[in-house]
Amino acid sequence: MANVIKATDLTLAYNRGKNEIIKNANFSVKKGEFVFITGPSGSGKSTLLKSFYGHLKPAGGSLMVGGLDLTEVSTSKLQELRTHIGIVFQDYKLINEWTVAKNVVLPLMIAGYSLDVQHTQAQRLLRHVKLTEYANKHPFELSGGEQQRVGIARALAKNPMLILADEPTGNLDEYSSNVIWDLMENACGQLETTVVVVTHRIPTIFSLPYRHFIIENKGVYEVH
Amino acid sequence: MKFIKDHIMFILPLVAILLGIEFFLVFDRMTASYEQRLREGYSMLVVSNEPISLQELQSINKNIGQSIKIERDEILKEISLGQKQEDIKEILNVLPNFYTIKLAKYLDTSSLDELQKDLMANKKIKRVETFGNSYSSNYKLFSFIKFILKVFIVFMSVVSLFLVIKQMEVWGYVHKERMQVMEIFGAPIMLRSGVLFKVAIADALIATSIIVSLFLYFRYQIAEISGVDVLMNNSQLLFQPNDAVTLLLCAIIIVVISVYMVVFSSREKEA
Repeated sequence: MANVIKATDLTLAYNRGKNEIIKNANFSVKKGEFVFITGPSGSGKSTLLKSFYGHLKPAGGSLMVGGLDLTEVSTSKLQELRTHIGIVFQDYKLINEWTVAKNVVLPLMIAGYSLDVQHTQAQRLLRHVKLTEYANKHPFELSGGEQQRVGIARALAKNPMLILADEPTGNLDEYSSNVIWDLMENACGQLETTVVVVTHRIPTIFSLPYRHFIIENKGVYEVH
Repeated sequence: MKFIKDHIMFILPLVAILLGIEFFLVFDRMTASYEQRLREGYSMLVVSNEPISLQELQSINKNIGQSIKIERDEILKEISLGQKQEDIKEILNVLPNFYTIKLAKYLDTSSLDELQKDLMANKKIKRVETFGNSYSSNYKLFSFIKFILKVFIVFMSVVSLFLVIKQMEVWGYVHKERMQVMEIFGAPIMLRSGVLFKVAIADALIATSIIVSLFLYFRYQIAEISGVDVLMNNSQLLFQPNDAVTLLLCAIIIVVISVYMVVFSSREKEA
């Protein structure tokens, strides 16, 4: 299996390299894998995830995502890469002035799909996350769990090669969390999308085989 | 209501800036016309020992536009009344050549002094009369009005620019979240800023239309029937079709710069 993510001596830092968060990390994630990244608060989990979609450039080493070296990447290449990545945020990052349906098809809109295709896909995706009746509502009218399901539907919209999720259940109750994990498992198990999830703790009910990385003392280690 | 308020908050300063630009254009035409009249109405007197051609005069100073020789016979007629024929001949022998000099362009007083010096430096020329006092007082008054109007236009534009910047902050606040989310999902800059561009271009068109209508109204309704000579005779200077294009271009440049500044300030930054 090909690597979707490959980090070689990866160093991530803020303040122009002064404040190192991750140092000399070596790891890879293969196509179709489900990966959890855990670690204590402030260890650099979210920073590592941000580097996967080019929000933070490596301060050292190299980071390949989808075959693209993010150490030296142009804006246009990065934009292209991001259209193949679905991202789920703890705070959902939905656009409140848009309807739920329009939020869901944002990746299709960016890719230039016709309105007809967007409409059909919006219905399919909302059916998938069981929110069909919310299509014309606005995100602020939905509960946290429902908003996160919209976020997952948006992440899945363009059948991405990679889904990155930053604490996707961080703000949710147990029931909503289980629904979210179910959708995540489904994305990986049935659609064979690579999923990388940053979380405080791994869910107790999880049926898929997964890999687990832990961040400690600026290093990224795999837990066997 | 909020939609109208959002638009008005950008249209008003844009109208003020365009008003300043249109005032500048109108004033520029008015001053050009006034300068032409001053130039045409002004002449110098040059007295020379020998006949001197226009080319020679222009080689002395390029600001000389025209020279008209005052016929010696005409002068003689004026000064020889009651004189004997021999005396007239004698006068004719010693009578120098007189030229009325017109300027090629409107000059400030120092350039006028320079022109006089250049002419006086020529051996053929005996005397130059610039009638500088009346020219100088006209010029000073004209320069003062020009300065005051320019200060007013600059002041109005600066104040309006601050209002535009304020509105840009509002835009940044309203559109930032959407643009950042779109950027994370790989949207190119034109797609991210599309909504903002539509709003801004619509505002630019509205603001331009307001100014064009206002000045057309001045030209065809107010100036023509005002009874004020200067307005009635120069009504065509109040608005010209090219002004609409200039105003629209300026408005679009302002909104494009404003939108890009909002877009770039809203970009997701590395923490």
